[in-house]
Amino acid sequence: MTKLPQVLNRRNRVLLKELSKTDFKLRYQGSVLGYLWAVLRPMLMFCILYVVFSKVLRFGDGIPHYPVYLLCGTILWSFFTECTGMGIQAIVMRGDLIRKLSFPKWIVVISTTSTALINLGINLVVLIVFALLNGVEPSLNWLLAPIPIIELYALSLGISFLLGAINVKYRDVGSIWDVLTQALFYCAPIIYPLSMVASSSILAARIILLNPIAQIIQDVRYLLITTTAETTWNYYGSAWSKTIPVVIVVIVAILGAVYFRKKSKFFAEEV
Amino acid sequence: MAKVMNAADGGDIAIRVKDLHKSFKLPTERAWGLKQAIFNRLKGIKGYKTQKVLRGIDFEVKKGEFLGIVGRNGSGKSTLLKVMSGIYVPQKGEVDIYGTLVPFIELGVGFNPELTGRENVYLNGALLGFSNEEITEMYDEIVNFAELKDFMDQKLKNYSSGMQVRLAFSIAVRARGDILILDEVLAVGDAAFQQKCNDYFASLHGNQTVILVTHSMENITKFCDRAILIENGKIVNEGEPEKVAEAYKALWS
Repeated sequence: MTKLPQVLNRRNRVLLKELSKTDFKLRYQGSVLGYLWAVLRPMLMFCILYVVFSKVLRFGDGIPHYPVYLLCGTILWSFFTECTGMGIQAIVMRGDLIRKLSFPKWIVVISTTSTALINLGINLVVLIVFALLNGVEPSLNWLLAPIPIIELYALSLGISFLLGAINVKYRDVGSIWDVLTQALFYCAPIIYPLSMVASSSILAARIILLNPIAQIIQDVRYLLITTTAETTWNYYGSAWSKTIPVVIVVIVAILGAVYFRKKSKFFAEEV
Repeated sequence: MAKVMNAADGGDIAIRVKDLHKSFKLPTERAWGLKQAIFNRLKGIKGYKTQKVLRGIDFEVKKGEFLGIVGRNGSGKSTLLKVMSGIYVPQKGEVDIYGTLVPFIELGVGFNPELTGRENVYLNGALLGFSNEEITEMYDEIVNFAELKDFMDQKLKNYSSGMQVRLAFSIAVRARGDILILDEVLAVGDAAFQQKCNDYFASLHGNQTVILVTHSMENITKFCDRAILIENGKIVNEGEPEKVAEAYKALWS
């Protein structure tokens, strides 16, 4: 049985740092713009969405700071897809190491997702600059924004551990997840404002807000951009139902950790 | 499970292997992928057959001993090394390790062509369980042994294959672990470097615990204090290297 202090012992910390550093260095190796791509990718995605949904379809009418609102959603979403996409494949991609060396396997998953975490950090700085330029007033709420972001990372890691462990044996999981994220994208109010759903059906809006990703994105928007953003907290009355998305995240995270731990002993044979 | 303990606790024992059993589930009908797995379950097919690779291995290695392990392809040598290194989990039995064990199942695991020689040494070291300070301490020795001082800031992809394997080998022999495990990696590089490797192993005698898997009976008799012969997952001969080498050759006669 590994006790908690042993989990982050010196050996594991060194390995985590070295693997993260390597992933980070190699990610944009050989591209002309290099690390700029970390910022450019979500920004370009944002531009496309902005033109289509704000200018052509006029989704954003009536929402204050809609471009920032939209950018916030795309940044969090691309973090989620990058983190889970890489995390699920981590064990398989590092199969060469796992087959020939003995070390805690979770390090591979965390180190792979750390690049996504760094990207998120850079993008959040861009978001803040954007918000200030757009006239968003800084507030004390900003200090609370890390909480839903940590929740998002916990969810991403839970999914990565759970599906990543299954993916070792059944490689279909990675592909299924790719398709599933496409569907999830439309389930969360990233491009469309939730107010639009609420205006035709309050029930639909409430169901959408049970999805942890929707809850997280709306919470970050609420804290960073505008208190008019619809949140799970405001849409549900009882304390019990307010916490459903958080409970889902906790369950996914625990399930992922337990299952990964159980299966990781046999990764060397199966990968 | 491989249990790692302090070197001092073992007395003069470096590794104790007790009644080790290991078997693998080999997929029969292609059980790769979700569809096939569900299909197999519905039809009641197990989807794998069990192959016993290790069937009760017992031995001890003393501190400072140079142990050779020989056997035919598929006899279970590499599986044994992997169980001892903690890569595989055995079904039954135990491995007690007194001290730090540095396994080289393959040279240069995790080497990345896009990183420089220096970066690769640090990455490889971290993978083997060394801290940055420990690697910094060993670094000069590694580079000197590899004779690659002028190349360390170049990317590995610009190394010749001989240079790459020399760097990997130097990490293996200069890494300061109590127990060194080598799978068929003895002498690499050109004739001069091979001579250097041979001299190095000869100099280890009595100072370093080494477990070596090889098919070269010449190396067994030249370097090892003791050898074991594995056949079908069991130890069939054990003792003087010359005697074991004879038994190994007799497998084909």
